[in-house]
Amino acid sequence: MEHALKLLLASMPMIFALGFLAPVIAQGMDALGWSAPFGTTNLIFALVVAGTLGIVAQIRGSWV
Amino acid sequence: MSETITLPSDLSSLPEKDLRKLELQIARKHSGMFPWEAVVWAFGNLVCWLALWPLVLLDVVPLWLGFIIATINMSLVYLPTHEAQHDIIARPGAKLRWLNELVGHATSWMIVTPFNVFRFTHLEHHKHTNHPELDPDITSNADGPWQAIWQAIKQRQPNGKRSQDYLASLQRQGRDDLVLMTILFRLGHLAILCALAWSGFALEAFFLWWLPYHIALTYLVFFLSWAPHYPQPEQGRYRNTRSWMSKVGNIGSMGMQFHIVHHLHPYIPLTRTPAAYREMRPILEARGCRLEDH
Repeated sequence: MEHALKLLLASMPMIFALGFLAPVIAQGMDALGWSAPFGTTNLIFALVVAGTLGIVAQIRGSWV
Repeated sequence: MSETITLPSDLSSLPEKDLRKLELQIARKHSGMFPWEAVVWAFGNLVCWLALWPLVLLDVVPLWLGFIIATINMSLVYLPTHEAQHDIIARPGAKLRWLNELVGHATSWMIVTPFNVFRFTHLEHHKHTNHPELDPDITSNADGPWQAIWQAIKQRQPNGKRSQDYLASLQRQGRDDLVLMTILFRLGHLAILCALAWSGFALEAFFLWWLPYHIALTYLVFFLSWAPHYPQPEQGRYRNTRSWMSKVGNIGSMGMQFHIVHHLHPYIPLTRTPAAYREMRPILEARGCRLEDH
């Protein structure tokens, strides 16, 4: 239980990125009428952007 | 309550025990009353923020306006819980003790922290103000206002020392249960945000909770933690907190210009600290306090 909780906490930046940030970006783009480049959907584009930011935050331990 | 306490014209020659007696007389004069403002503030703020959700989701209130109101709501959460942390609404054993606890528990979740975590860590802050290892709020230390804002943001990052200091403070006090509670609050908050986001309400979750929460925390750390204790190295009852003049006034700085009175006499309600400060000022001056309100 403790191990699972620690793993969950350690993964918070990625969970936040894919679970929250990605839909925020996608729905923000939808609201602004923006289309994702390279023929992808807004959601796929947002998952890539948020996922990249999440990986960086995960490694650096910081979003800023 | 309205009794007049006359201070001698020359306080510098008074012995410590007489200064202390006068100081306590003033403190007692401004304490002991029921702080109804804090109770109305706590529940009014909670109801207002909860009401925002259906109002925004039903397009009665535009999201941009909801965001502004939510940011104000988030900034207003802390101080009523702070009154409750210090048992100002009702002390243990008092008839209205349940209300004191209700104010704390019913509102502190909005800023994703269990009430008792605020209580235990804040009382440690009072006990060890500005101590580099024992004050859980020491990470708000910064060389100037812009650095303080940046520091407040940096300390909330996954590798920030602030949350480690809070957890260490709870562990020192043998409250591992509150460490677990804090983790559950954080996970619960994230779960709610994710659930809302994947249900199509990502922007509402972002602008009504996540962003207001972060703006409010920066604001709260700046005015409640950094400004009254700057520069942090000063320790000791009469030196660890200062009075100061805020560019955004007393309301804009949430009454923190007179935070020195709160640290000396934490049982005085927030709304009474300005009056208590004005009356106590000559005593504080005689004691060599850091009075920077001019």
